[in-house]
Amino acid sequence: MNNILEIINLSHAYSKNENSITGINLDIQEGERVSILGPSGCGKSTLLRLIAGLEKPSQGEIKIKGIKASSRENLLPPEKRNVGLVVQDKALFPHLSVYSNICFGIKKNKTKDDIASELLTLFKIENLKSKYPHEISGGEQQRVALARSLATNPDLLMLDEPFSALDKDLKETLYSEISLVFSERKSTILLVTHDQKEAELMTERQIMMEKGSFLE
Amino acid sequence: MNRFSIWRLLPFAVLIIFTAPLLIVLSTLFGSYSENWFHLYEFVLADYIISSLILVIGVSILVLFLGTVTAWTVTTYNFKGKKVFEWALILPLAIPPYILAYTFTGLFDPFGDANNFIRSVFNLKDSTIIFPNVRNIYGAIVVFAFTLYPYVYLVSRSAFINQSKSMQEAARLLGLNQLEVFYKLALPLIRPAAIGGMMLVIMETLSDFGAVDHFAIQTFTTGIFRTWYGLYDLQTAMQLASLLLLTVGIFYFIERSSRGDGIYTSNNSTFSPNEEVNLTGLKALTAFLVCFIPIFIGFLLPIVELSLWAYEVNLGFFNNKFLENSINTLSLSFLTGLICAALALLINFSIRYKPSILVGRFSALLSIGYAVPGLILAVGMVQLLVYLDNLAFSGFDIVLTGSLLGLVLAYVIKTYALANSSIESGYERISYSLDDSSKLLGSTSWNMLGNIHIPLLKTSILTSVLLVMSDVVKELPATLILRPFNFETLAVSTYIYASEERMIQAAAPAIAIVLIGLIPIVLLSKMIRSSRPIENRE
Amino acid sequence: MKKIQLILLLSFFGHVIMSNEVNVYTSRHYDSDDLLYKEFTQETGIKVNIISGKGSALLQRLKSEGSNSPADIFFTVDAGNLWKVQKEGLFQSIQSDLVLSSVPENLRGPNDEWTAIAKRARVIFYNPENVSEEMIKDIDYEDLSNPEWRNKIVVRSSSNMYNQSLVASLISNLGEEQTESWANKLVSNFARKPQGNDRSQIIAVANGEADLAIANSYYIGIMLSGSAGEEQLVAAKKVKMAFPNQKNRGTHINISGAGVLKSAPNQKNANRFLEFLISKKVQKTMVDKSYEYPILESIRPSDEIASFGTDFKEDQISVKSFGELNPSAVRLMDRSGWK
Repeated sequence: MNNILEIINLSHAYSKNENSITGINLDIQEGERVSILGPSGCGKSTLLRLIAGLEKPSQGEIKIKGIKASSRENLLPPEKRNVGLVVQDKALFPHLSVYSNICFGIKKNKTKDDIASELLTLFKIENLKSKYPHEISGGEQQRVALARSLATNPDLLMLDEPFSALDKDLKETLYSEISLVFSERKSTILLVTHDQKEAELMTERQIMMEKGSFLE
Repeated sequence: MNRFSIWRLLPFAVLIIFTAPLLIVLSTLFGSYSENWFHLYEFVLADYIISSLILVIGVSILVLFLGTVTAWTVTTYNFKGKKVFEWALILPLAIPPYILAYTFTGLFDPFGDANNFIRSVFNLKDSTIIFPNVRNIYGAIVVFAFTLYPYVYLVSRSAFINQSKSMQEAARLLGLNQLEVFYKLALPLIRPAAIGGMMLVIMETLSDFGAVDHFAIQTFTTGIFRTWYGLYDLQTAMQLASLLLLTVGIFYFIERSSRGDGIYTSNNSTFSPNEEVNLTGLKALTAFLVCFIPIFIGFLLPIVELSLWAYEVNLGFFNNKFLENSINTLSLSFLTGLICAALALLINFSIRYKPSILVGRFSALLSIGYAVPGLILAVGMVQLLVYLDNLAFSGFDIVLTGSLLGLVLAYVIKTYALANSSIESGYERISYSLDDSSKLLGSTSWNMLGNIHIPLLKTSILTSVLLVMSDVVKELPATLILRPFNFETLAVSTYIYASEERMIQAAAPAIAIVLIGLIPIVLLSKMIRSSRPIENRE
Repeated sequence: MKKIQLILLLSFFGHVIMSNEVNVYTSRHYDSDDLLYKEFTQETGIKVNIISGKGSALLQRLKSEGSNSPADIFFTVDAGNLWKVQKEGLFQSIQSDLVLSSVPENLRGPNDEWTAIAKRARVIFYNPENVSEEMIKDIDYEDLSNPEWRNKIVVRSSSNMYNQSLVASLISNLGEEQTESWANKLVSNFARKPQGNDRSQIIAVANGEADLAIANSYYIGIMLSGSAGEEQLVAAKKVKMAFPNQKNRGTHINISGAGVLKSAPNQKNANRFLEFLISKKVQKTMVDKSYEYPILESIRPSDEIASFGTDFKEDQISVKSFGELNPSAVRLMDRSGWK
C-alpha cells in the first residue's frame, strides 16, 4: 500500500464556535488523481492549507508517506513536506523571470537546467523563458505556476481552483494538456474545484464536500 | 485665459526664493579659490571624504539590517509585545542624532556614568575602563544607525505588509524555510523601498553637525564650520558646502528614482487571514529582543540618562534662560509651521486650480529642501542676505543679515516638504467634483479655497504645522549660523552646554526637544496602528 | 504713527539705530561683564547696548552693515581675533591718551587700533600625584615634544584660536621649521584625539587620563570658585599650574581686547568706555570675576589665580604678531596632523 496521503478524522476551527472542517478522512495512493468538489465556502481550500502545513488542525492527523506531518501537538513545516500547491492567484515571483520562477525550488544546481527545460517544453512555454510574470497572459501564468510546483518533484501536488479565472476555451485546452503531463509523470494529484466537468476530466475519483464534511 | 494669474506665478516665485541660497552656494564653485582652499585640498579634504564615506557605508549597513529585520519580525510573527513594538520601533525618531551623541558620551566616556557605575558596584580602581571609547567614527555610526533606522523600518514594514502572502507560502512549499523566505524572497522584493529609506538616512547623516562635532570627527560639516568660523573664510566654506551639496544630490536622485518600480509589486494579492506565525518560548524571546534592543539603545537609554541628569539639576533648569529659549523655539517653529502650511496650501491649490505639467514639476522641486543639509542652506542664506543688504537696503537703517528673516526662511525651505506631503494627501481625498460644483455655483478662486478646501483640510493643515514644528525644534546647524545675536533656541542651548562638557545642564533643553519631537511620532504611530491588516485589528 | 508702526514691524526683521549710547559688539561670554556695563551706565549715564555672538559672526555682520553699522566697540578674546577685524580695515585709532599710556605697547594693536583689557596665560596643568616637581620644573613649551611625554599630553582642537595664537607665537619666536618639527612630535604625544574644551583637558589631567594639559590660566580660577559645579571644583583641587619658559623668554600670554570701529556713531562714548575698562576699579572687578591677569601693574589678580604665582615672566613679544601669523599657524597645525 503506497499511501501518499492519509487523513484521519481531521477537524479545524477558525473561530471558537464553528468548525470549518469536521471529521475528514481521506487516503490517496501514489499515482492517484483525486478531486474534491464543492461550493465555495465548504472548506476545501482550508483542507488544502492543512495538508500543506500552513495551518495546524484542532483535531485529527495527517500523514504524508507514512510520516505524521500534522496533528494537534505537532506540525512539520511546509518546506519539509515536499508537497506542492498551486493557487488561484498563481503567486508567481514578480521580480524573477519565468525560467527563474520555475528553478526557484530546485536545490541541486546540476539538474536545474534540465528539469526546467523539460517542464518548459512539457507545458509548451519555451518561448516565455525570459519573460516576466507581468508580461504574460493569465493562462500562461498558470502554466508557469504548475511547472514551478512540479520542478521540485513533489510527492503530492495540490491544485486549488487553478483554472477558475480563465475563460472557457482556454480551460478546455488546458485540461487535456495538463492531464497528459500528469499521466506521463505519474503525479499524485489532489484537485479542488467547484466545476464538475473539470473534476471529471482531470481526475479519476471525485469526492463531494459540503459545509466542512465529505458527503458519503 | 488670464496668463498672469497669480496662481500660475506663485509656484515659480516661491521656487526662486527656495533655490536662491543653493544657487549662491553652488556658484562659488566657479569663483576664485583662496589659499585656504589649496591648503584644505592638500591636507584635510581627504579626511573629510574618507570619514564621510566610512560613515555612510557603516550607517547604511547597520540601518538596513536593523530596519528590515525588525520590520520582518513584526509583520510575520506574532509574539508577546508585538502590538506595542509595531509602533514603538519608530520612537528613536524623536531623538535627534546630536542628543543621542551627547548621552552616549555622558554614559560611556572613561569617567561617564556607565563606567562610574560599574566601578562603584564592583569596587574597581579608577583606571579600569569597561566600556569602549565612543568618541570616534564607530561611535558615530552606532548613533546615527540607532536614531535613523526607523526610516527604513517604516518603508520596509509597509512593503512587507503589501507583499502577497500566498507568494511567500508558495516559496515555503518550494522548500524554503522562513529565514530563507526572508532574505531570498521578501528582502529582494522590497529593495526599492528599502533603498529609498536608506537614502533618507544617508542624507540626514551627511547633514549632521552636532554629533560629528561632539565626537571630534572631521567631516564636511565640521570642516565647513571650521573654515568659516576658524579661518574666517566664507568663500572656501561655501566651496566645501557645494561639494557636500553635490554629494547629497546624488543620494537625493537615487531616492527619487527608487520610488514606484512596477516590477516589484505583484498584480494580485489575496489576503489570507491569520498568516502570522505564532511564536513561543525561545523563539518568542528572540523576537522580543530583536525589537526591544533598537528601542532601548535608540530611545529608552537616552531618555533615562537625560532624566537622571535633569533630576540632578532639580528645578534649577527652569530658569529665565530656559523659559526664554523655549519661547523662542516654540514661536519660531510655530511661525515656520504656519508659513509652510500656508505656502503648501496655496501651491497645491494653484496646481489644482490652474493645472499645468510645468507647474506640477516645478512644485515638486520645492520639496528639495529636505535633502539639503541645514548648514548649507544657512551658508547660502547668509550670502544672500549680504547681497540683498548691499543691493537694496544700503540707504536704510535696516540690516537683514543677522535678523530672524534669514533663519525663518531657511527653516521654511528645509521643512516645506513635510507640510506639502500632508496637504497633498489631504487634497487627494477631496474629489474634483466638489471644485466643479463650486465653480458652477459662481465661486472665485479665493472663495473655493477659503470656504470649501480649507475646512475640509483642517486635519491636514494641523498635521503639517505639527510636523514642521517638530522638525524645526530639532534643527541645529542652520540655527547656530543664522540666529540673531542673543537669540538661543533649545537646540542651540543643548549644543552650547554639551560643547562645554556641561551635560547636566544640557539635559533640560534636550528633553524638551525630545518631548516636542514625540508629537509626530504619536501621529505616525496612529497611522501605523490603523494600517494593520484588517483581520488583526482588535 | 505710521512710521512707528513700520519701525516696530521692521525691527522684528532687522534692527534700527538709536542714539546716545555706546553699542558694544562682544564675543566674550562671561556673565560678569553684564555687571560692568551696568556700572558704566551708572557712572556716566551712557546706555550700553550689547550684541554678543561668535567672533566671525560678528565680523560678518560688521562687514555687511558697512558704514551703516551701529557698532562702536568690538570686544573680544585673543589678539588673533582682533587682528582679523583690523585686517578688514574696520578699526580706527584709539583717541584716548589715558588708554594709550596705561597699556604697554606690546599689548596694543598696530596704529593703536585696539588695546588689551586683560591678560591670560596659556599654561601647563599637571597632577602632582602623577607628575613629580622634578619633571615639571623649568618646563618649556618646547619640552612638550620630548619622548618622555608620549601619550601623556592633552590639548583641545587646533580649530580653537587660543592654540592657533600659541603656535603663532612659537613661529614668531622659533621660526616655522622648528615649530613644525615640534608640532609633529607633540601630536604623537597626545593621550587622546583632541576633543572637548580647555576645561575637559584639565579634568582629564585630574582624572589621570593624561599627565599634562595645555589650557588657559583663568579656567582654574573658574573651576576653583565652585561656580561651575562640584565635579569641576573637585578636579581643580587636584591639579597645579606650571608657567612654561620661565628660564628663557617667558610664558605665552594673550589678551582680551577691544577697539573702536571706524564707523562708530558714538566715538566719544566709545573711547570713554575703553577708559572705563582700563580704570583701576574696573580692572579689579574684572579680574576678580574672570580670573584673568590685569593690565595695570598695580592691581593684583584674584586670590585663586594669585595662589599659583603672579610674578611669572611673560613673553614680551607683541601680540600683534599672533594675528599676522595666524594663517601660517593654522596650516602648520594641519600639516602636523593636529586635528
